[in-house]
Amino acid sequence: MNSQSSPSLRQALTPSDNDSSPERKALLAEIDASCRRPVLFMFANGLLWLMAGTALALLTSYKMHSPNFLADWSWLTFGRVRPAHLNTMVYGFASQVAIGVAIWLMCRLGRVPFMQGGLVVGATIFWNIGVTVGIVGILAGDSTSIEWLEMPGYAAYILFIAYALIAIWAIIAFRFRRERHLYVSQWYLLAALFWFPWLYSAANMMLVIDPVRGTVQGAVNWWFAHNVLGLWFTPIGLAAIYYFIPKVIGRPIHSYFLSTLGFWSLALFYNWAGIHHLIGGPMPAWLITVSVVASMMMIIPVVTVAINHHMTMVGHFKKLKYSPTLRFIVFGAMSYTVVSLQGSSMAIRSLNEVTHFTHYTIAHAHLGVYAFFTMVMFGSMYYIVPRLALREWPSARLISIHFWTTALGILLYVVPLSVGGVLQGLAMNNPDIPFLKTVELTKPYLVTRTFAGILMTVGHTVFAVNFVWILARRRKAYQPPVPFIAAGLQQEAGAQLGKDI
Amino acid sequence: MLIYIIILAGSFVFLTGSALLALRWALRTGQLRDSRRTALLVFDEDEPVGRMTDYFPGRPLPPTDPASPSISK
Repeated sequence: MNSQSSPSLRQALTPSDNDSSPERKALLAEIDASCRRPVLFMFANGLLWLMAGTALALLTSYKMHSPNFLADWSWLTFGRVRPAHLNTMVYGFASQVAIGVAIWLMCRLGRVPFMQGGLVVGATIFWNIGVTVGIVGILAGDSTSIEWLEMPGYAAYILFIAYALIAIWAIIAFRFRRERHLYVSQWYLLAALFWFPWLYSAANMMLVIDPVRGTVQGAVNWWFAHNVLGLWFTPIGLAAIYYFIPKVIGRPIHSYFLSTLGFWSLALFYNWAGIHHLIGGPMPAWLITVSVVASMMMIIPVVTVAINHHMTMVGHFKKLKYSPTLRFIVFGAMSYTVVSLQGSSMAIRSLNEVTHFTHYTIAHAHLGVYAFFTMVMFGSMYYIVPRLALREWPSARLISIHFWTTALGILLYVVPLSVGGVLQGLAMNNPDIPFLKTVELTKPYLVTRTFAGILMTVGHTVFAVNFVWILARRRKAYQPPVPFIAAGLQQEAGAQLGKDI
Repeated sequence: MLIYIIILAGSFVFLTGSALLALRWALRTGQLRDSRRTALLVFDEDEPVGRMTDYFPGRPLPPTDPASPSISK
């Protein structure tokens, strides 16, 4: 690499260094080659955590209706396994895959190769050490007991430093972009990369390192937990949707104006919405009211995004039959609309009185993190991995099994648990029903959830098998992926592969 | 408690303020102009408008896809 493509941090942050340079837009194969090591490494680690998190999820779900199962070993009691599952999925799987997708999208849209991939691989190792330390800490009984921030403080430091080392190179890729105009996905990515460290560090400082006292803990906790979904996962998920739907079907987004309206309204309203989880709690009334209003205002970006995605797909729905990426992405996009409107409705005080403290909230969280975000990440990986590995996915059948088990699994998870949650809430609000009865009535819905979890476990396993298979095939006889043949790029891909092996 | 509420409210204002600053930069640098051209940024000469770019491996391709003749062999 020359000095232009591999800048120091100082060069990258000095505007004058870049403006006079020749701006040759990088070839897609060149960009993919530069992203290969760091992005595939993140995806591989993310999948390892996905499998670990899935095992913990199944265990947690089973314990909800059979609490004596493995209850004699303190490491596997419900109070430890459940937060270990959440943190494994959020920091081990979802965040790591999200950063990988963000790096690839940032380079593709900026038409610039990724720089310092080796450093990022090192930082990713550091990140995974942080997650491992955190999860072991939780299982060992060192949890902070603060939802979404259960990892002990010493793990939080490692994660923050590792994130900074990774994200800074994504920002530098943006800074050195050769396409000066920004696509809407870049707005979302930049916002997420900027907002997450602020959220994570502020919440850790106020809750873990130097904890605030009293009810403010709850306010900070929900400000963080809600915004991790809305200002970290959601922008990256939407960035991927705005990139992959047009890209796969070969048609520009229906209305670019609507896409920018959606981004700016999310940027202005979302961060105020989290405190609606504390309706009825001992909080200043104005704080909750502001959150309720912001939650309602979120209908604007959600509806604009939904209209835009739907209108882009109109006339192209039959392509769902042919594209694995499109299947997962469209499923995720539709789930985004549902979970967001559901989230706004949960800020209505009369509905919140019923759903608060019930399984309805758990179903809602999984609709967001799994049905929307995780499905979008699966779809993104189906598009990105063949271009980085320069191999086609080995088995279309495994892809189909992955889609149907996860899609049906999450529906079987969310729908019954939502119904059970509402019934639970109505029963808890009825003073004539003993509390134990309200617990027992949820049992069929919890058993159904375990079956849903088994379905999703099957999906994750076949995906992991397909992923290992595609990487293991790299050294065998070369077969260019279908998209390369379609674009007439097989020679270029072959040359790239030869260079790397 | 008041100081913590102020810090929390300050965080709200900071995040919203950063978005407003970014919007100001976008307006100044013309990022929000020419939306038709911007919408085409995901495409290029290798993956142009009108071409589907993702398929199930080893399965038949959509008949109307321009790339299908070369792949169905």
